[in-house]
Amino acid sequence: MENKIPSYLLQPGNDQHELANAKVIRLSFLDKTLMNSATAVKSIYVQAENASKENFIQKISPHIKLISLIYLVLIISFVSHHKAQIIITIFIFALFIMARLNIFKVYKKIFFLAFIFGFIVVLPASLNIITPGKIIFNIITINKPLHFWIYTIPQNIGFTENGLKVVSLIFLRILNSVSLAMLIIFTTSFPSFIKSFKILGVPDTFLMIISLAYKYIFILSRTIEETYFALRSRLSGNIKNSKIRELISGRIFFIFKKSMIIYESTYYAMVSRGYQGKVLLHSQKKLTAMDFVTLIIIVAFGVWIIYL
Amino acid sequence: MHIPDGYLSPQTYIPLFGVFVTVTAVAIKKVKKEVSARNIPYLGMAAAFAFIVMMFNLPIPGGTTGHAVGSAVISIIFGPWAAMLAVSVALIIQAFIFGDGGITAIGANCFNMAVFMPFTAYYIFRLICRNTKRISKVSFAAFISGYISLVMAAILTAVEFGIQPLIASAPDGKALYCPYNLSIAVPAMAIEHIFLFGIVEGIITAIVVNFFLKTEPTLIYAFRNSDKNE
Repeated sequence: MENKIPSYLLQPGNDQHELANAKVIRLSFLDKTLMNSATAVKSIYVQAENASKENFIQKISPHIKLISLIYLVLIISFVSHHKAQIIITIFIFALFIMARLNIFKVYKKIFFLAFIFGFIVVLPASLNIITPGKIIFNIITINKPLHFWIYTIPQNIGFTENGLKVVSLIFLRILNSVSLAMLIIFTTSFPSFIKSFKILGVPDTFLMIISLAYKYIFILSRTIEETYFALRSRLSGNIKNSKIRELISGRIFFIFKKSMIIYESTYYAMVSRGYQGKVLLHSQKKLTAMDFVTLIIIVAFGVWIIYL
Repeated sequence: MHIPDGYLSPQTYIPLFGVFVTVTAVAIKKVKKEVSARNIPYLGMAAAFAFIVMMFNLPIPGGTTGHAVGSAVISIIFGPWAAMLAVSVALIIQAFIFGDGGITAIGANCFNMAVFMPFTAYYIFRLICRNTKRISKVSFAAFISGYISLVMAAILTAVEFGIQPLIASAPDGKALYCPYNLSIAVPAMAIEHIFLFGIVEGIITAIVVNFFLKTEPTLIYAFRNSDKNE
């Protein structure tokens, strides 16, 4: 029987030839890029969806939220007592409940970040090598102390009381800062939050750049997702190093060209609406009694924490 | 490279924030002169591009992947002042939307990655390239500028970490912020950036600049500027 497969499909392509000689390289870099762009798109969607809910925290003015965020983050940074940090943790958790967010999902992300930066990275500081003090849990004992250049390794290596206090304080501080930032992020629309920086004297030009960049990021992340997904579908097996470099630089150039086109279109759209180089952002709605009450509660809480 | 909240004391992050605000004000004036009325959408696009460049991963030995900070490539393509604004905006969005980098550390992160790194990269690139557009030399200059600027920025970050036990400890000597002193923070950050992340940054800077040079060299600010100076 005659072979009906078209001849061009039976001929080995250049890519296949390259693949045969290629070093073993997995395509995980494509998956990782795809995951990054998908995460960016998802984060923007989830953030916008949560911020549009009509709950108590969401209704508070972005101005008040910004002032509260900066005020509380500074207090978290200054306060060095475990008790005060634990009370702040409970206070922020109560605010999350009021915001009626998916507590489990949000805290999963918060604990992940706090675990990495507040625990894993600083855990060695709980050892007597970094933080001297009374060893409360011995891990290993070596024959004699070791001296190497400017470093000294003591004979007994273990966790010290002071070290554990340092690690727990840093963990709580990071947990509180991250959770507070997440609370504001998930309950405020990003464009209105950025506009609220006006009260701190940030120029309108800079705020407009941030707002535009935020929108462009969303569009460009979608573009990366689509191009990489198409690329991922076409490739299989392994790929040569030179080909990878070509793929990545080509995609980055493509994204650059696409962003230039978007920028030009945005500029002409702005000009057609009367833009002459100066930006004036419209001020947001007036503060309500609820905003003032919230601000008083936050300020009072902060003062109480400082004098605790 | 993104410093989270809790690692730096107010004695460190407040002055760095002050420096960042001052440099930003100068950058806005400089860029306004260069790109006139188009500056807002142009910088918005540059910031988005700076953010996006950080998403691209490159395979690295050991089966894992790494990405670039992107400040070097952005400064070569857009110029150091525009890069400074673009990378700052990208870092601010990362801190507020994605939780990458702390809010109190925004000034420090922007100083390290948006002020120090782009200027270092840009002037190293110009110094090596001079007026040549030979692909091999340009690629080499781009690699070195990406590599050195990242390694130096990492060491700067390590110094900021390492001085915390010296300037912000409890009366009994306990660390209140980053617990690692200079003798631990600097080698730890330097080694991983010299042998791994610096190389990734260098490769990405080189391949992207190389692609731009082959395709549309007029888009590269570093060459546009050198042509003007000639």
